[in-house]
Amino acid sequence: MHIPDGFIAPQMYLPLYGVAAGLWAFGAKRLSDNLDEATLPWLASLTAASFALSFLALPLPGGTSAHVTGVGLLAASFGFWNAFMAASLVFAIQALLFGDGGITTLPLNALAMGFFGSLSARGAYLFLNPIHRGAALFFAGWTGLVLPSLLIALALGAQPLMASDEKGLPLYFPFGWDITLPALLIPHALLGLGEGVLTLLGGRLIERLRRRYEHV
Amino acid sequence: MSERIKLLAYLVAIIIASWTTSPAWLTGGLLATLLLCGRDAMRMVRRAIVTTIAFSGIVSAAYAGYRWLAFDTLPLDWLVTVNLRVLLMAMLTFLVIARVNLFQALSVSRRFSFLLVLAVSQSIGLKRVLDEFRMGLHSRSIRPASLRDRYRAVAHAAGWLVDKSLGHAHESAQALKSRGLFK
Repeated sequence: MHIPDGFIAPQMYLPLYGVAAGLWAFGAKRLSDNLDEATLPWLASLTAASFALSFLALPLPGGTSAHVTGVGLLAASFGFWNAFMAASLVFAIQALLFGDGGITTLPLNALAMGFFGSLSARGAYLFLNPIHRGAALFFAGWTGLVLPSLLIALALGAQPLMASDEKGLPLYFPFGWDITLPALLIPHALLGLGEGVLTLLGGRLIERLRRRYEHV
Repeated sequence: MSERIKLLAYLVAIIIASWTTSPAWLTGGLLATLLLCGRDAMRMVRRAIVTTIAFSGIVSAAYAGYRWLAFDTLPLDWLVTVNLRVLLMAMLTFLVIARVNLFQALSVSRRFSFLLVLAVSQSIGLKRVLDEFRMGLHSRSIRPASLRDRYRAVAHAAGWLVDKSLGHAHESAQALKSRGLFK
């Protein structure tokens, strides 16, 4: 579920934009330093894959479903900076071209899911890969979903502290950490199991596809 | 007015709306946005509500319930202010999507424009095929698919998606090279 505009205080999203802009600039420089005929179409395709992955519904018992993020899969298979830049571009496209999510929540999503989600997924993958490749892919998917949910819960729960009226009532998102942490972490820790399975299956498939395409 | 200036005006309006905590100013902003939407106003209101209702509705209902149970009162000021702000900001976004050529507004460099056009066009194509996969699974089963079958369908769809994306990247790279974009 996307957080729409209006729930995150400007006292938070404006500084986050500053941090995200610096990381985007650094990521873009890294890409342009290695620019060749494969880089741009490669990033575009990774972005499109990430965008479409977010529409895949992970089946849950009882006929319901939850959406995949694909951050763990992208980070484990294609590297941290590629995953971060692709995920950021996806959030921007969703917010500006399709109206999903918000322009004020873009830096929070980009940093939590794109940056820290990719970083933790890539870290888990690199740490566990020498021990067991399947476990490395699974935990990359799990942590790529759970760490961002922790960061978003912290950011949402901080809203009443950042902006309240003279009576102390919240002006933006109303609940504190006592609500946001369990509300987001518990379901995402369970959903992460499904994301982990998908990352495991997807990661193995990408390994096979690598032999077919160059520049991957 | 150039597309880039329109985009800049939108960003300024979004920042102002996000700072605003007065229901009167938010209502004024919403009325002004509705006027700018013209004949599309009701369609955009409907779209804005559909997009935001899941999150806003759950948070609003949960907060109203919590205040009612804990303090025996409804947080009417919060409900009105936050929901007006959310609606206004969503309306501004849909207005920009409808009236501004975002590809032109975001054409900060030739490479970025190229990246954006490629990414968006491929995204739309992939999403359409995924919708068809989903409908295919429903239409080919008399009974609802089991959890195992649904997992297998998602895994195959993800595999197809990655395969197709890598194929697109490979083809686009060859097309660019053959047209002399990179020496």
